[in-house]
Amino acid sequence: MNQARFSVEIATETRPVVSVSDFVIEPDTITFLFGESGIGKSMISKAIYGLIDPARLRVSVNGRNYSEYLRRSWTRNLQENSFFVFQEPSSHLNPLVRLHEQLNEGSLSKATNEEDVLRRLWQSVPAETLERILRIYPKPYRPSGGEKQRLLLAMAFKKIGLFQSSNPEDRTNFFVFDEPTGSLDNVYRNLFLELLFDTFRKSPFTAMLITHDYSIISEIFQKHNDILSRVRFKELVRAGESRVSVRDFSPDHYLNWLRKASGSRVPASSAGEVVLDVSPRFSIFGRKLGIYADHAKTRPARLTVRSGEMVYVKAPSGVGKTTLAKLIMGLYQAEEFEMKLLGKTMTHQTPPRMWPQKVWGKNAGMVFQHADEALDLEATVKETFDGLPLEKGRNRSLKTDIAELFEGEIDSSFLNKKVKLLSGGQKQRLNLLRTLVLKTGVVILDEPLNALDFGSIQRVLAILERHRNRGAALLMISHNEEIFDALVDPALVYHLAELN
Amino acid sequence: MKPIQHLFGHKDKRWALSWVLVVLVLFLWDLHFLNRPSLKLVVSGFINTMIISGLVILFTLVLGWVFTILLDAMQSRRREKTHFVVTFLLNLVRSIPQIVGVLFGYVIVTTLHRQGIISSKMQLFPLLAFAMALFIFPEVVDLMRERIDHYRKLDFFNAMRVCGIRESRIVNFNILWRNSRIHIFNKLISVFGIAVFLQCSVDFIISVGLSTDVNPISLPPTLGSLLAHYDSKQDIQSIASLFSDVSYFPQLFTIHLQGVSVAFLIVFTLVSIYNISNGYAERNQL
Repeated sequence: MNQARFSVEIATETRPVVSVSDFVIEPDTITFLFGESGIGKSMISKAIYGLIDPARLRVSVNGRNYSEYLRRSWTRNLQENSFFVFQEPSSHLNPLVRLHEQLNEGSLSKATNEEDVLRRLWQSVPAETLERILRIYPKPYRPSGGEKQRLLLAMAFKKIGLFQSSNPEDRTNFFVFDEPTGSLDNVYRNLFLELLFDTFRKSPFTAMLITHDYSIISEIFQKHNDILSRVRFKELVRAGESRVSVRDFSPDHYLNWLRKASGSRVPASSAGEVVLDVSPRFSIFGRKLGIYADHAKTRPARLTVRSGEMVYVKAPSGVGKTTLAKLIMGLYQAEEFEMKLLGKTMTHQTPPRMWPQKVWGKNAGMVFQHADEALDLEATVKETFDGLPLEKGRNRSLKTDIAELFEGEIDSSFLNKKVKLLSGGQKQRLNLLRTLVLKTGVVILDEPLNALDFGSIQRVLAILERHRNRGAALLMISHNEEIFDALVDPALVYHLAELN
Repeated sequence: MKPIQHLFGHKDKRWALSWVLVVLVLFLWDLHFLNRPSLKLVVSGFINTMIISGLVILFTLVLGWVFTILLDAMQSRRREKTHFVVTFLLNLVRSIPQIVGVLFGYVIVTTLHRQGIISSKMQLFPLLAFAMALFIFPEVVDLMRERIDHYRKLDFFNAMRVCGIRESRIVNFNILWRNSRIHIFNKLISVFGIAVFLQCSVDFIISVGLSTDVNPISLPPTLGSLLAHYDSKQDIQSIASLFSDVSYFPQLFTIHLQGVSVAFLIVFTLVSIYNISNGYAERNQL
């Protein structure tokens, strides 16, 4: 397969969606494509792979009409030899077919590496458990997000195995992994990367990984640096209203920033006033959860946040980090819970009306994980701040706050733009800003770096740092361990775990 | 050229425009061929039907919105008993077939009219529309409750609440107005269709004398009552004569215009509303 350069334009009947003129697929390399959510990474990849419905969108590839592009033998060979791992595994899986049968659909049944792939992706899981998972239907038994994701990855590796062993006449191949680690914790993410690079070492293939997880860079540099010459780091950046451009992303840029952040993190101090203090044990939805001060979970601790501090709570996916945040904000009713918020004791018996009266928007605010759900997509950027309990005169400085977080993107057309038309990264920043403008003493941030590109991550962290310096207490909840481990003093890192 | 393409490019707009144009053409045709007293009857029957149906939309929307907010407030404030009572009453209204309920409402309104308690159209039309809206509005409540429940399940609702935005603003403005008005509007198009259909059916039933308590003579004419009119029935019966004499067909459009016009207006209006509603739902991907 030769290097292929693509110019792709995608539009609806009424407006352009995304266009790029310099999208290159280098053969026998693994490309990591970064970029903020919603910028068009998945859509462009799908267009090249031939997955867009021409009846829904107007697509042209290298100036060709999409139907014509789909008929080309190059496109057909690519589809024949390759695999596309979708971001949302549920959209790929058939709810009426057992997982094992789906793992052997079509040509996948001919692959001989299934056992090895499954063993490596489910390394820490007993064989009987894996067998049980494979026997179930996606619905109503509902495998977890991580299990579904690993199943799709297993399919992709089977297809790679087939491609490597069959030696087809036409070697056109393009394996796309769209956010393949979004539902995996770091242990499983690293297992996936290990399998990917080991498979690549056997016989190279062309792959693209679309991701927001910059910590993948550290993992590659630490454990797979023998293969760095075949790895590319690219970033999709905005070059106009709907135009995007691909540029090289320097891994050193990220690694150096991380080192610098780690060196300049603020040490824990007992100077600030305690604004949030949560009991080390609580129970909710019939589950008992505990907060610990150490990774080994031997030292139960009260989760204490002082003004001017950034505290980080970590736990594997699904343990209950978001549940804890919602509990503090009074959105869930616990069976047993106790905390002190700005000196006021609140328990599971506190009447729910206390939170709207005393807490919400006044003393504490929370940034929710999914900006797409948390924001009113039909509102404009400006209207997003309507109805907030802002101090008098605060409206005037709102534009300055917006400008601070959206540097270079502010003008009246941006303020009047509907939220649904913003990119994922812009939405996430707006989501953050809606809470930060309230200037509450406590701010809980659930995955604040979700969907952001590296530039936006730096900007968001700088804003958070300014808020912390002004005396705000920040409680961070994130699976982005590498960044927060670097930023937060280990004395301010708490571990959440389910009690047996 | 573009505005015309824009207008005809969407099914809902195409049908809305077609409805207006066809009604206009029919009026011009009737103006030429139909005798003046009959023309006056058809025109006022059509206008009265449209006014009452328009009022039904208004009352349905107001009743639907008020009950939705009431039920939502009771639920969020955990007033379970009151919530149960209001839900029970709503279900009671829902359990009565719309046509039976409206017929019963009409009997009351027309009795009041016959006794002289209600005299003018200004009083009569809102009461007739209200009687109809009373049995249609639960459908709007269902839609609105569904929309609110959908947004409550998402982070949307909680994310706004924890920012200190008032719950009433989130429900009324952010959810119902900003994010559901297209759905509500689509429902109101259907309500308009239901109102025309119910009105024609009930007026027809009353006019042919099913309810002996009601004297339809003094009621303002509507399309339904006109259809039950002796002349109209004769006109429609004349369609049957086509089986024995096909050459009679052209005369349907010149001689038997009252009945044919009324029947056509009812059927064409209902077909148009059906297509407008479908087209609107398709265009907005509801």
